[in-house]
Amino acid sequence: MKKILFFLTALCFVVASCTKKKTDYEAEINTVVTEHYEFKEAVAITNSGYAISIEALNGTFYKGYNEIRLKITDKQTHIEVKASNVTFLPIITTANGQTISCPHSYSLDYQADSQYYSGYAVFTKESKTNENWDLYLSFTINGQSYSLKQNISVKEQTNKNLSMTAFTGKDEEQYFIAIVAPQKPKIAENQLIAGIYKNNKPSNPSSGVFPDPSQFSYSEVSDYVLQLDPRMPEPSMGNHSSLNNRDLIQRNDGLYAGVVNYTMTGNWTLNFILLNKNGRILKGTEVSKDFTPGVEGAKSDLFIDILF
Amino acid sequence: MKILSIVLVFLGLNVNAQNAPLQSDSTRLLKEVKVIGTAKRKIETELKMAVSVDEFLASSENISFIKRGAYAWEPLLNNMSSERSTLTIDGMHLFGACTDKMDPITSYVESNNLSTIDIKSGQEGSMHGATVAGSIDLKRKSTPFGMEKKVNGTYQSGFEFNNNQLFNLGNASYSSQKFVADGSVSFRKAGNYYDGNNNKVNHSQYQKFNSSVGLALKASPLSCLRVDAIYDQANDVGFPALPMDLWLSRAIITSVAYKKLFEEGLVKVWDTKLYFNAIEHYMDDTTRPENLVHMDMPGWSTTYGLISKVNLKKGNYSSEIQLNAYDNLSIAEMRMYPQDRNKRTMFAYSWPWVSTRFAGLSMNNSLEVSERSQVNFGVTLGLNYNHSKYVEFNWIFHPGASQSKTRILPGLHASYQLHINEFDFSVGTGYGHRAPSVSEGYGYYIYNSFDRYDYIGNPNLKNEVSYEANASAGFTKEKMGIQAKVNYFYIENYIIGRILSLGSPMNYQSVGVKGYTFLDHAKIFNLSLNTHYNFSDDLRWKGTLTYAHAVDEQDQTLPFIRPLSYQTSLRYVKNKISLQTALNGDFTQNNYSPQYGEDETPAYVTWNISADYTFSFKKLKPVIQVGAENLLNKQYSTYADWGNIPRMGRNIFTSLKVNF
Repeated sequence: MKKILFFLTALCFVVASCTKKKTDYEAEINTVVTEHYEFKEAVAITNSGYAISIEALNGTFYKGYNEIRLKITDKQTHIEVKASNVTFLPIITTANGQTISCPHSYSLDYQADSQYYSGYAVFTKESKTNENWDLYLSFTINGQSYSLKQNISVKEQTNKNLSMTAFTGKDEEQYFIAIVAPQKPKIAENQLIAGIYKNNKPSNPSSGVFPDPSQFSYSEVSDYVLQLDPRMPEPSMGNHSSLNNRDLIQRNDGLYAGVVNYTMTGNWTLNFILLNKNGRILKGTEVSKDFTPGVEGAKSDLFIDILF
Repeated sequence: MKILSIVLVFLGLNVNAQNAPLQSDSTRLLKEVKVIGTAKRKIETELKMAVSVDEFLASSENISFIKRGAYAWEPLLNNMSSERSTLTIDGMHLFGACTDKMDPITSYVESNNLSTIDIKSGQEGSMHGATVAGSIDLKRKSTPFGMEKKVNGTYQSGFEFNNNQLFNLGNASYSSQKFVADGSVSFRKAGNYYDGNNNKVNHSQYQKFNSSVGLALKASPLSCLRVDAIYDQANDVGFPALPMDLWLSRAIITSVAYKKLFEEGLVKVWDTKLYFNAIEHYMDDTTRPENLVHMDMPGWSTTYGLISKVNLKKGNYSSEIQLNAYDNLSIAEMRMYPQDRNKRTMFAYSWPWVSTRFAGLSMNNSLEVSERSQVNFGVTLGLNYNHSKYVEFNWIFHPGASQSKTRILPGLHASYQLHINEFDFSVGTGYGHRAPSVSEGYGYYIYNSFDRYDYIGNPNLKNEVSYEANASAGFTKEKMGIQAKVNYFYIENYIIGRILSLGSPMNYQSVGVKGYTFLDHAKIFNLSLNTHYNFSDDLRWKGTLTYAHAVDEQDQTLPFIRPLSYQTSLRYVKNKISLQTALNGDFTQNNYSPQYGEDETPAYVTWNISADYTFSFKKLKPVIQVGAENLLNKQYSTYADWGNIPRMGRNIFTSLKVNF
C-alpha cells in the first residue's frame, strides 16, 4: 500500500510538471522591453568651482524624449548651490556643418522639494562620429552669470515604446511627437503620454552671438488633439485593433495624455491624426477599420510603432 | 446475505446486472439500493457491446452532443451546453483545459473503468454542485470485498472498418476479505473516417490511452480506505470541424477515500474523499497548412477538492447530505507567430489564471409517504468565488470589473412520485442558480469556429437562475411499457454571446467579436417518450421519441436544440445468438437560429444492425459481435455537428469480449 501511494504521489508530480512550461507573464513582457526608472548621472561638468551634474534615466541620453534633472553644487563643499536663470540648449552639428536644435525646455524649473532643476529634451538624432550634440548651459549665481558648453552622446533608444517622429504639418510648421509613457506597456488599458512640440520660426535675424536661443526655439503646442487608432500591422492579425482607446489631450503639465489598450504583445502601430486647436488636420490620415486577414495593415501617414 | 448487502452498499453498489438482475435479489438489498438511489446501467448500448463513453451517453434520451469530430463530443443535457450541467467522476469535479471545449470530462475516462453513468435532470442533479441542466456523474468501477471468485477480468478487442479503429480494453480485479484491487488499461487508435459519399474526412483520427488503478483496504469490518487513480492520454486527435487539432492532452485523476458504515442509528454511511486532478491540453495547427497563422494554444486545469457525505435512514425517511469543496485554477495561453518568425511573437492569455473556489452543502431527502407514494425534496447552498489573476485582460472589455467575485448559489427541488398498480406518475419542481463558467466570466478572445466569432467573457454577469417543472407518467405491464417525461425550464439571465460593436477580432478566421451577456430569460422545453414491447422472451422492441423547443426572450430559437428525433430498436435473443437492429433519425431542423450561426439541417435516418454469438472456449464464454452502423451509407450531418461536418458513413464493426 505504501509503495503504491508513493508511486501515485510520484505520478502526480510527474504530471504536475507539465509537458510544456507555462509562460511567465512578467518575463514575457520583459523579453523585448527594458524599463528604466532610476535617474543616474549622464554628464558631469566642472566650471568655476561649481560641479554641474545632469541626470537622465539610466544615466544615458536617448533619441526621443528625455526627462533631465540638473544639479549644481559647490565643488569644494559639495553643498547644493541655488542658482537662477538656469538655461539648457542642446544643439547638433550635422555632417554638413548645420546647427539644429530639438524640442527642449530652455529654462529649467527648480523643484524645491527634490532640489534639482528639471526639464526635458527630445533628441531627434543619435550621436554619430560626424554629427555631434552639444549642451549649452547658463546660470546665474550671486549675480554672476556663467555659460558653458558640453559635448554629450545621444544613444539609440532600444525601447521600441519610446519612439518619436518629426514632420512638417499642413501649416508648413515643423512638429515633433515623442512617446513619454508607458515605457513598458501591458496587455491592458495603458495611459499613453506623449509630448507634442513645434519649432518656432525665428522672427528676428540672429544676434550673431552663438548660440542665439531665439534661433533655436521650440515649444509644446497647446490645446491640440492627437487622435489615436492603434492597430497591429502584422498581416495575419488582419488590421486588428482594440477598444476603449482615448485620443490624447493636453494635461496641465503640457504633455498630452490619452488611453491605449493593447490586446496582446507584439507589434502595434499607433496611427495618429494631429488636429490643431481649431480642429484643422495638420497631419495624419484615417486608416481602414476593416478586418483584412492576410494583408498588412495600412498605416496613417502619421504614426509611431510600438513593440512589447 | 446481510454481509453481502452491506458489502454491496459499501462499494457503491457494484452489483453487476449481468450476474443477477436487481429485482431477483432480496428485499433487503432493494432497500439498501434505495438508500443510495442509483439506478444502474451497464456501459453498453442495445446495439454495441464495446462502446466509447460518448456512444454510451448518446443512447440516453436526454443527452445530445455537439460533435467537432470523431472524438471528445460535448454532451448537452436537456439541450443545454455543458456549462449548465455538472460533470463529475464519482462526484469529483474536473474542468477541461481547452478553451474550445475540445476536452469535455467524458473524454478523460474510458468505458472499461466505468461501471455506470448517473444522469440526473435539473435540480435533482444539484448534489455535486450548482447546476441548471442537471448532472452527469461518471461512476468508476469498484469491486466489492470478499467476492466468491477472487480474480475477475474482462478483455475486449475490436476493429471498426470505416476509420480503421482498433481498440484493446482490459480490466481485472482482485477481491479478498481485506483487500481489493481494480485495474484497467485501454488503447484506441483510429484513422480518418469516411462519410456517406465515401469521402475521407481529414483530421478525424485519434489515439487514446487510458489506465486506472483502484486499491481498497478494509480498515475494520465496517470501514475502508480506497485510493484511486486514472491516467489518460490522447495524442494526435483531429478535429475536422475546428481549424486546429490536438497534439496532446493528459489527465491524472486521483483520490483517496475513507468510508465508514454504521449498523445502528440514523447515520448509515459516511464517505469522505480528497481528490486532485490535473489536465493539460495542447493544440496543434501545424498539420493545417491552410492556416495563415501558426498559433500555440496550451491550456492547464488543476483541481483540488473534498467530498464528504453521509447517508441517513430512519423508518421511511432517508437522506443524503453532501459537502463539496473544490479549488480550480484554469490557465490558457495563446501565442501567435508572425509570418516572419524572427519577429516578436504575439502573446495573450485566453484564461488569465482564473481560480474558481466552490463550497456547497447539499441535502436530498426522500420520504415514503405510503407504499405507493414518495416525496423527494432537496436543498443546496453553494458559495462560488472567482479570481482572475491578470484581471487587466478582462478590464480591456470591462473596465473596472472586480478582480474577484463571490456568488451565492442556492438550489431547491421537490418531487412527488406515485405508483398505482401498473401506473406511475411524478411531478417535480426546482429552483437553482449557477455561476458563469471560466470562459463566460473571464475568457478572452476565445475563437468559436461555429459562428466564427471571438468570444469575450464578462466578469459582471449575473447568476443564471432556473425555474423548473417536470412531470412523468408511465404504464408498465408484463409485456409492454410506456413512459412520457416532460420538463420545462424558465431561465433568467440566460448567458449567451452577443455581437459587440466594439473591438475587432484577433483570430484571423473570425468575423467579429461577441461578448457574453445575458438574455432576460430563455425557455426550454423537453419531452421524451419511451416505449417497449416484448413480443416474446426472445423478441423485444424499444422506441424513443424526443422533442425539444427552446426560445429566447424574443421567441427566437436558441442554438443546438435537438429537432424531433427517434430511436427504435428490435432485439432477438435465442440461445447463444442475439440479433439487434436499430433506426436512429432526426426530423428536419425547422427551428434553427441563424443569429447564432445555425442553418437548417435536413432530416436523416440511419439503420444499424448487429449480431453476437456466445461460444465456449475451454472454461471461458467469449462473445463475438459483428455489426454495421449506417448500413445504407447515408450522407448526413446532424443539427449539432460543428460546421456541418458529415458524420461517418457505413461502419462495419467487430468485437470480441472475454470475461474471466
